[in-house]
Amino acid sequence: MQFRLEKKLQPSKKMLFATPVLAVFLTMILGAMVFTTLGFDGLSAVREIFLTPIINSLKWQDLAVKAAPLIIIGVGLSIGYRANVWNIGAEGQYIVGGLAATGVALLTHDLSGWWLLPLMGIAGALGGMAWVFVPAFLRTKLKVNEILTTLMLTYVAVQLLNFLIFGPWKSPTSYGQPQTVLFNSDQILPYIIPGTIVQAGAPIAVLIAILAWIIMSRSVFGFQVKTVGSAPNAARYGGFSENKTIWLTLLIGGALAGFAGMLEVAGPFNRMVPQFPSGYGFTAIIVAFLGRLHPIGVLFAGIVLAITFVGGEVAQTTIGLPNAAVGLFQAMMLFLLLAGDVLVRYNIKIVRAKR
Amino acid sequence: MNSKQTSKQTLRLKLEGLTKRFPGVLANDNVSFAIQSGEIHALLGENGAGKSTLVKMIYGVMQPDEGKIFWDGEQINISNPKQARALGIGMVFQHFSLFEAMSVLENIALGMDNKISKKQLEKQVHQVMQTYGLSLEPNRIVSTLGVGERQRIEIVRALLLNPKLLIMDEPTSVLTPQEVEQLFEVLRKLAKQGCSILYISHKLDEIKQLCDNATILRGGKVVGECDPKKETSKSMAEMMIGASLHAIKKNKSKQLGDVGLAVHEMSVKGQGDFGVSLKNISFEVRHGEIFGIAGVAGNGQNELQAVLGGEVVLDDENIIKINKIPVGSMRANERRKQGLCAVPEERHGHAAIGEFSLRDNAVLTARNRQNMVRAGMINANKAKAFTTAVIDEFNVKATGSGAIAGSLSGGNLQKFIMGREMLQVPDVLVVSQPTWGVDAGAAAAIHQALIDLAAGGCAILIISQDLDELLALCDTLAVINEGRLSEPKKTEQMSIEEIGLLMGGVHGANQAPAELQNEAAG
Repeated sequence: MQFRLEKKLQPSKKMLFATPVLAVFLTMILGAMVFTTLGFDGLSAVREIFLTPIINSLKWQDLAVKAAPLIIIGVGLSIGYRANVWNIGAEGQYIVGGLAATGVALLTHDLSGWWLLPLMGIAGALGGMAWVFVPAFLRTKLKVNEILTTLMLTYVAVQLLNFLIFGPWKSPTSYGQPQTVLFNSDQILPYIIPGTIVQAGAPIAVLIAILAWIIMSRSVFGFQVKTVGSAPNAARYGGFSENKTIWLTLLIGGALAGFAGMLEVAGPFNRMVPQFPSGYGFTAIIVAFLGRLHPIGVLFAGIVLAITFVGGEVAQTTIGLPNAAVGLFQAMMLFLLLAGDVLVRYNIKIVRAKR
Repeated sequence: MNSKQTSKQTLRLKLEGLTKRFPGVLANDNVSFAIQSGEIHALLGENGAGKSTLVKMIYGVMQPDEGKIFWDGEQINISNPKQARALGIGMVFQHFSLFEAMSVLENIALGMDNKISKKQLEKQVHQVMQTYGLSLEPNRIVSTLGVGERQRIEIVRALLLNPKLLIMDEPTSVLTPQEVEQLFEVLRKLAKQGCSILYISHKLDEIKQLCDNATILRGGKVVGECDPKKETSKSMAEMMIGASLHAIKKNKSKQLGDVGLAVHEMSVKGQGDFGVSLKNISFEVRHGEIFGIAGVAGNGQNELQAVLGGEVVLDDENIIKINKIPVGSMRANERRKQGLCAVPEERHGHAAIGEFSLRDNAVLTARNRQNMVRAGMINANKAKAFTTAVIDEFNVKATGSGAIAGSLSGGNLQKFIMGREMLQVPDVLVVSQPTWGVDAGAAAAIHQALIDLAAGGCAILIISQDLDELLALCDTLAVINEGRLSEPKKTEQMSIEEIGLLMGGVHGANQAPAELQNEAAG
């Protein structure tokens, strides 16, 4: 017996929305089974990871903090993915964005004023853009696959980070710790809800998602991205340049990742530290797909993935689940989503070989 | 009909009440007919009449929902093409499945169900070619072959199985008149030896020339059977379409205006391994003129369309001029602003995007000329209004401007695409294959719209492989062959024979040009 995939004329709209939800639920079920066989209390693991962060209102602020960078990076990636531009090195752009913002913070450490944060934000975005410049150039001029180049540059970014904070940027007062000095009070994001740890990053993320939604659904640029992504020949016929689209989408993705890096370094961290590469750039790939490459979908997906992060920390302390468990859940979610997509877009035909 | 034979001989193939349903469509409705051994039987019908579905059931690609298939008098189920081939059913598809980078022999070997040694296969291939007078060089790489030769590979492939029934799906749509004649010789020889042939086409003249019997399909049903030699093309066409044909209204005494589109000594290197280079092409199209470019597929038509439409941009802006303005270095959207609209041959993924709504497909090319864009944002209402206008004026059968383009039938989508460009009132229109795969009714509507547009002063260039279409519409004709354009001439001054020779490359390698010319003329 053989199976054959046949493309459906038109995938069901309902299923397009349902599969991400389905993927999350299947992840819970499979996750429970996996951790039970591993000797943990599988059901509690799933409860702690997926439900506690939602039920326990004390965890909501953690969600907001974790979701913000995921949403911002995810929105940027989703725009590129729409155009079939596969930037998977947002982590590197996020790091360099953070470094650029840190650089500005260190240079202006003795200064004060409202303009410091915007300046750091611009620096962060420019840093991220600088990091995708090379992949964009190589892709458009030499047709070098951006999947490889963006990923490899991520590792370069980590080395750059280590070089700077172990070397020239190391704080003289940190007792040998590899970290920069704390930013001054004008270089730190304001807290928007008193008494919580929620900083300006959260509302900015929501704003960016809404803005991206309007641009992607209403503007010629959004139309161009979608056209280049779904039919390159039609795009050329419509007068859209493929190379220009690659440049723009990569630069936007890099800028948003870099900007997210600035929000992190000027937010939760307050300084540059070796733990800065937290994997947001990679998780944002899952966020983009779980959100169906739609800015508003990404907004919700960012929250879902933030739940797994926060829940993972909870499960670590309450039932001693290893930290890697979170990664396992996230990966499972992506795989189930992609597998579900195949079922949405294709019919499976059983082909019986008769003699 | 040939009742004298029916009673005596066993029938090679008999279909009884075949019915096939797809969601929302009854593709074949109680179809019955029979083919005798050695008979060339035409299956005639418009696009969408259900010919392909029927043939797929005979070839085992699909199974009927109801009805019976008899093979040599025995009822059978054909569950896959392999079984069909084992029975002796061969098929030559309209679109070839050949690997460009492989040799003729390798391609044939790949299609064989039973693996045999290369030497033996070569021997068999030579034998088949000799028997049927098919000339092919077994070691040539496919990418270097013309369309006629490629088709011969498919035919040899089918003949190697000693078929008792050969199905030919629209075999002549890509051939020159001379190549068609060669093909017919082979088919007649085959039939004489007892092989039945099911010949699918909508070209009535060919069916009259070749076939003994014809079954006519319309809307999935058999609407008639006839002896094509006794019918006129017009009467068969009317059976096929189900309505009387309207003749195209053409204003003979029209005045041409200034030059709208001018191309001067254009040479463009072909892209990729299999692209055709355009060589030193020059021509002019005046306002009000319909200029036709004939040619066999794959001789540079797509490249020419891409360069004129602005999908490929030239370094020298002066090579292409619209209303005397140099546009060679402009992209498609900039050329549109100068008044040039274009329609490439391929509908899906090129002229239109299947996953997009009709409205978004309108935005694709009409956004600037119809003022749909302000400050980088698309005005959805204007886009919708324009889309609705196209749907109304060109009778596009669609649920509205929000309908997904991929859900439209080929003919309807083509009407929409043509309408989208024509309603923008271009100064110059460049279209490839305007009625490719479109039913006769829609084709007539598109033809009339083109004539009316030219009468309104538009300079129109039509690149087509359909000679009848070009002869009916065009004031001036030229032929493209291997990227070279022949001297443009008034349509009245060109004979089919001359066009055919130009299409095959005048210095072509056809063995017996004199004989072929006679046949083409006769």
